[in-house]
Amino acid sequence: MSIQNTTADQQGQPEVLLDLKNISLSFGGVKAITDISFDIYEGEVRAIIGPNGAGKSSMLNVINGFYHPQEGEIWFDGKQRTGMKPYEIAYQGIARTFQNIALFKGMSVLDNLMTGRFTHMNKNLFWQALWKGPAEQEEIINREFVEHIIDFLEIQAIRKTPVGRLPYGLQKRVELGRALAAQPKLLLLDEPMAGMNVEEKEDMCRFILDVNDTFGTTIALIEHDMGVVMDISDRVVVLDYGRKIGDGDPTAVRNDQTVIDAYLGVSH
Amino acid sequence: MFYRESGDFKKTYRDDSQTFPIKFDRRRYYVVMAIAFLVLPWFITDYIANAVMIPFLVWAIAALGLNILVGYCGQLSLGTGGFMAVGAYATYKLMTSFPGMDMFSVVLLSGFITAFVGMIFGLPSLRIKGFYLAVATLAAQFFLVWLLNKVPWFYNYSASGQITAPERSMFGIIITGPYASPVTGYLFCLILAIGLAWVARNLTRGRLGRSWMAIRDMDIAAEIIGVNPLMAKLSAFAVSSFFVGVAGSLFFSVYLGAAEVTEAFSINVSFAVLFMVIIGGLGSIFGSFVGAAFMVLMPVLLKNILVGGLGWPTDLAAHLEFIIVGALIVIFLIVEPHGLAQMARVLKEKLRLWPFPH
Repeated sequence: MSIQNTTADQQGQPEVLLDLKNISLSFGGVKAITDISFDIYEGEVRAIIGPNGAGKSSMLNVINGFYHPQEGEIWFDGKQRTGMKPYEIAYQGIARTFQNIALFKGMSVLDNLMTGRFTHMNKNLFWQALWKGPAEQEEIINREFVEHIIDFLEIQAIRKTPVGRLPYGLQKRVELGRALAAQPKLLLLDEPMAGMNVEEKEDMCRFILDVNDTFGTTIALIEHDMGVVMDISDRVVVLDYGRKIGDGDPTAVRNDQTVIDAYLGVSH
Repeated sequence: MFYRESGDFKKTYRDDSQTFPIKFDRRRYYVVMAIAFLVLPWFITDYIANAVMIPFLVWAIAALGLNILVGYCGQLSLGTGGFMAVGAYATYKLMTSFPGMDMFSVVLLSGFITAFVGMIFGLPSLRIKGFYLAVATLAAQFFLVWLLNKVPWFYNYSASGQITAPERSMFGIIITGPYASPVTGYLFCLILAIGLAWVARNLTRGRLGRSWMAIRDMDIAAEIIGVNPLMAKLSAFAVSSFFVGVAGSLFFSVYLGAAEVTEAFSINVSFAVLFMVIIGGLGSIFGSFVGAAFMVLMPVLLKNILVGGLGWPTDLAAHLEFIIVGALIVIFLIVEPHGLAQMARVLKEKLRLWPFPH
């Protein structure tokens, strides 16, 4: 659906940004993910869908380093990665939002977004204690970038409001903004439209597509609203009981018999 | 009427992020500074300087330090007394080992030594959180006091086990020792308190401060965004202990003059500083000062009213003092759990609209 997809098609061979090979993850005896492989192309919107407990969120947690899979390889941006901490992965250019909002409640919207710029700032304690000079300079440069995000997400009016006071829909938007502030190569969205009304969903879809278009950010998203998934994603991967049961463009997945069975159930 | 931000447009990000964005606040701050530096030293009596202003400033520095750790980084600590003791003993050792060193360097160096010790005791915070961390830091309190009491090297093998501040001066002005004038002590503490408050403000509004608050509010999300929890927590412990160490150093050298570790830096000190932070307001620099003022000034005020004003016997007044201060703490916490700083904030919000609330 997005422009990126067509350009990728024109180039013929799309660039692979993230490649997951035979990932298996288990907690004790419980197998959360079994032998799943899929890839994410540069600049696409990739949806991960599946019934509850299919292992979608575990998959995202594997991608951004919360869980370390027992088996399998993860290749990001042409490099294999092993045993990295989540904060190191943030420096590689992966950002995410959470299923239940994980904003910094005590801080203002602006501060939340500025925290998103953390990986782009590096002045040490001494300069920060002094403030005047390099630290202030750095702060202003990053503030300027954050203001672009604020304009983009249309949250100018709530810039200085503590996020705890904002309604749910806006909090979701601020969380997206915080992830965007990090200028990620790969943006992971865990149910960005959960609990929203139609209007808010439309807004969110618009933002996701705009992010993909204007910043060229690659997006991987988990979502339960099938209409949304089919509309905005370029390719869809379907999980069920920790296994991959479908992969391809939305129409192919929609007509796949195993996928339909997984969602609707089959008579035995 | 004049407490307005309307019409005061900020044209640069620098202007927008200043500490006092409202003109009235800014002017009031300058007035307070001018009074503290230019007016008070001329009118202050020795009693006021010794019993009110110096302890207020010293406790304010300690509260500031603990507020960075508890209020900004969300790591509960009950080791403040122990860290203050480290600051005090570091000062003593520096003063006696290097008699030529000026007082300013002594105090700052003591701060750095305490920061190092604080970082070591901050290590458990990576594994334990909340109340359990408080218990772990309690160990720091008891261990440090025990160590400083047990090893005679720390108090230069003096027979009484006490440490006494020798006379030290700076630019020819005596700051410590029996002949130091309370006014110089006051000014010395004032300069340090204001300098450190400025540093605290700078740290908390920048990248480091945001990483602390991120860890406090949602440590998982903070890690996802690139904050290394180890660095954030240890830096909070280091900076906090630096402040507390400076406070301990001043407490011993300028305020007390002589100290015995089990008495001056007991667990009560840790609790007192924690109360200051909670009453003043967690995560507020202004709150640290207000909290310290409340805990230091209230007993003095009550004593003056009850003993000086009403002529009651001292022991009765002392007991009543405890009762009244305790009750006030409870009342304040019920009325405004977020501390006096929050009260000030609410007042400001109201003032913005005054006198037309609609």
